[in-house]
Amino acid sequence: MSAFLKQVLGYTSDAIDAGKYLLKGLSVTFDHMRRRPITVQYPYEKLIPSERYRGRIHYEFDKCIACEVCVRVCPINLPVVDWVMNKETKKKELRNYSIDFGVCIFCGNCVEYCPTNCLSMTEEYELSAFDRHSLNFDNVALGRLPTSVTTDPAVQPLRELAYLPVGKIDPHGVASDQPRAGHLPSDLLNGLQKEAPLEKKSDVELSDGENLKG
Amino acid sequence: MMTFTFFATSYLGIAGPGLDLKSSFVDSLQSFGLSTEMARLLWLPLPMLLVLTAAMVGVLVTVWLERKISAAAQQRIGPEFAGALGVLQPMADGLKLLVKEDVIPARADGLLFSLGPVLVLVPVILSWLIVPFGQTLLISNVGVGIFLWISLSSIQPIGLLMSGYASNNKYSLLGGLRAAAQSISYEIPLALSVLAVVMMSNSLSTVEIVNLQNDAGLLSWNVWRQPVGFVIFWICVLAECERLPFDLPEAEEELVAGYQTEYAGMKFALFYLGSYINLVLSALLVSVLYLGGWGFPIPVEWLASWLSQPIDAPLIQLVTGSVGIVMTVLKAYLLVFLAILLRWTTPRVRIDQLLDLGWKFLLPISLVNLLVTAALKLLFPLAFGG
Amino acid sequence: MTIATSTELICFLVLSTVIVLGSLGVVLLENIVYSAFMLGGVFMAVAGLYLLLNASFVAAAQVLVYVGAVNVLIIFAIMLVNKREELKPIKGLRLRRIVSGAVCIGLLVLLVRVAIITPWPLPGPIAIGEEATARIGEHLFTDYLLPFELASVLLLMAMIGAIVLARRDVYDSELLAGDDMKEGLIEQTPTPLLVDKSSP
Repeated sequence: MSAFLKQVLGYTSDAIDAGKYLLKGLSVTFDHMRRRPITVQYPYEKLIPSERYRGRIHYEFDKCIACEVCVRVCPINLPVVDWVMNKETKKKELRNYSIDFGVCIFCGNCVEYCPTNCLSMTEEYELSAFDRHSLNFDNVALGRLPTSVTTDPAVQPLRELAYLPVGKIDPHGVASDQPRAGHLPSDLLNGLQKEAPLEKKSDVELSDGENLKG
Repeated sequence: MMTFTFFATSYLGIAGPGLDLKSSFVDSLQSFGLSTEMARLLWLPLPMLLVLTAAMVGVLVTVWLERKISAAAQQRIGPEFAGALGVLQPMADGLKLLVKEDVIPARADGLLFSLGPVLVLVPVILSWLIVPFGQTLLISNVGVGIFLWISLSSIQPIGLLMSGYASNNKYSLLGGLRAAAQSISYEIPLALSVLAVVMMSNSLSTVEIVNLQNDAGLLSWNVWRQPVGFVIFWICVLAECERLPFDLPEAEEELVAGYQTEYAGMKFALFYLGSYINLVLSALLVSVLYLGGWGFPIPVEWLASWLSQPIDAPLIQLVTGSVGIVMTVLKAYLLVFLAILLRWTTPRVRIDQLLDLGWKFLLPISLVNLLVTAALKLLFPLAFGG
Repeated sequence: MTIATSTELICFLVLSTVIVLGSLGVVLLENIVYSAFMLGGVFMAVAGLYLLLNASFVAAAQVLVYVGAVNVLIIFAIMLVNKREELKPIKGLRLRRIVSGAVCIGLLVLLVRVAIITPWPLPGPIAIGEEATARIGEHLFTDYLLPFELASVLLLMAMIGAIVLARRDVYDSELLAGDDMKEGLIEQTPTPLLVDKSSP
């Protein structure tokens, strides 16, 4: 009998606990209702991509020496470098260059290793197409520069969370001249230059500062 | 809802004391020279049309609320561009479903496939027959009242099984079977908790049930006398409507969309309408059974006597009627809000947990609740409607 | 003839047609699923007849019990079994059909005869309408108390029988061998609904 009672009591306390936790959960949901939405309404508003954003790759045909380093460092050997050996000049002659962005994973290895800096990453991320073959960009398409979000008149540019002023969460209505939280690298350097003459007046330190600036 | 008050204003002068729309309508037609029978026949379709419209508008409002509240709970904006604050979004959705192609899968059973959604929707709409918005503001004060709703809602599983079977799709069949099993299991605790309320009010009629709760306003609502029954009823109603903690029949992750998988266009819209009408109806019935229906938290009679107004005055009657409608709808929509909040709070239960909860927890508790109610009724006949 | 009576007559005719045709469909249709759904239609039509007789409580009970429970269970069973069995040709099927048809027609004739020669008190007793619910309750708990309780005992027996049949594993191995039943097989310890609070 006592075992039965114990079972009933245990079941009851279980049920009461479940109800309690349910109420807790409800209060959490209810609390979320008073928080401001963080929606970015995409076609009309766009986030400004961050400084090191790895978007579509830009390529300058004239700088390329057809060394194929980009192909070797690519995880899947994606870039197609179409060159022929010119027997007379004994130099490589580049004819075509293409990257298929339907396959690219935007790891940025090619940009990292390119000896002539002819590859770079842009902030373009709107790469949808009706046909996947149209994502295979040739050297002309790769050479185009994307429209910047900040210069597009049809778009309201919004700053990402890390670029907002101190204490701001919502990017809406933040003036573009308000500084971001923390310091930019250039700010830090300027600060160092100002502090250095005050604290340590040796010439060596000062020249170090000059070197850094250069 | 607005139209009720419109009728009230236009015929009140003829009707005299009391808010009897039917007799006032019939009287006014008779004054144009129609026979009594013809006038009654003309009156017949009006409340039905009115309630049908009310149900549809209720669905539109509920869909909009659901989308907006869901968005708020997830820190989104929700529909915004169709009309102010996106109020036209449900209408746009409905229009889209109307003009979509009506596909019947090649190997499906065409007849049963089309009949299924109808069988799901019709009982739900029929159940609006018994929802009172005021002392006389309901289509039919049938004697079996709330029992009619219980028996009508038991037809629904047949429609679900039918559409599940006719789709010729394993997900549909599984969804239909789950829906039927769920409906049958939760019907029993639901009926038992309704029975406790019926026992207290000595009547199955919804009007009588509300009347019993409106002696002392807020304090005499059934929710204080039947707290356990209220919770059981609410849980069962959520299960019957397949709302989120119990939405196994259409669990997206496992069953695609359950019995709705093969449906598109208007037939899908029938399911969609059915589920939302059912939600609004259930909320209305919870407010009727437990939250005093059309009753204002402070009885209108008291207010009238404080203002030293006769309760039979046409103006007071009109105010009482509109307050009743507003209160019923308000309570129902508060419950809809709670259901939406619960949707984003609770995770889906497994099928074994669902059946455990229904058969091993709710059923015994509702039986005990019924027994305790009977005992209390014998002990305190004054408080528990002797 | 007033509008009310003619409406009643039309309703009666429609409902009776549905019942007769539906019942024939239940018996004669090849597809068992169709038969089951037809049965639901017949039950609904019978509920409609009760409504015509001013017995709304009986009609609602008919819908709840027969359509909502019995018919759903039948369909449920059909769909869970899902066994496509090819019917073997039976010898002398023709003769069998004729014999069973004759028996059925004989029964029908008998019923019609009874219906005709019984002196029905017309018009019958006045329907009590809304009072019916209370009256049914009174009768169930006074004059018909014994059959009512016996029916519930019968249902209980059926339920226990169903459980024993469904849990044959317990019945066979333990009970027949004379061992003590393993409690674990009958009542498993419930898995806790909530995560253990002591563990982090």
